[in-house]
Amino acid sequence: MVLAAAAVVFGKHPIYSAFSLVLCFFGLAVIYTLLNNLFLGMVQILIYTGAIVVLFVFAVMLVDSPKGSGFQSKRPFLSIASLIVIWTLALQMISVVGAAPWVAQTREDATNMRFVAKLLFTEYLWPFEVLSLFLLVMILSIYVLARPDQSKRSAP
Amino acid sequence: MSSVSFTCYVVAVVLFCLGFFGCLVRRNALVVLMCLELMLNAVNLIFVEVAMRTGSPGGIIMVVFVITVAAAEAGVGLALALNLYRLKGTLDLESFRQLKG
Repeated sequence: MVLAAAAVVFGKHPIYSAFSLVLCFFGLAVIYTLLNNLFLGMVQILIYTGAIVVLFVFAVMLVDSPKGSGFQSKRPFLSIASLIVIWTLALQMISVVGAAPWVAQTREDATNMRFVAKLLFTEYLWPFEVLSLFLLVMILSIYVLARPDQSKRSAP
Repeated sequence: MSSVSFTCYVVAVVLFCLGFFGCLVRRNALVVLMCLELMLNAVNLIFVEVAMRTGSPGGIIMVVFVITVAAAEAGVGLALALNLYRLKGTLDLESFRQLKG
């Protein structure tokens, strides 16, 4: 799965990156299932690989991708600088993980999807509704962005 | 520390760093969007692991919200990328220099 993620970053063509992304998301779904949460594994496969990556593949098919390596070749110092940034970021994250308290409570609330769903519609109802409004705004904005140019069409 | 949760942390850190590196280095706008998805998935993995370990259901709900927002973000990002492609004829991020002083 990590190899698939690396193939997303280093793939020559965007279509290779998209299919490696599918492989990576399947691996994540397997990890979610191993963590005893089958629901999120199913959601991962359905939404990510079923909707988002299909959208990516659709966009890759619509545009023709440029030839060449696809990296920032004009500024080679950018790669080195970003490697340094990544290294410090990884060190920071590892130190945070090492400092995290490893409490191991064995409440079974999170595995019980019925409980989670009930919580979603009672305690988290307000964020849920805000999210639905947000999705509506997103759909309208995508329509406004992607519609054909009206002024150009009306002009003779 | 169980081995499964340790593996989850390592995989999440590696995924996040790979996605961040791709965001910084790649030139194709579509690949940059895919790397954003990688970073979001790394954070999701941390959320799920901590939620399953501590038994708090808030992490699971957060992950559902994050997946929804990621889907919306991918849609808007791809619409913007297609519009940029119609405008400039390429998706090379180096060629979008209108804002450069």
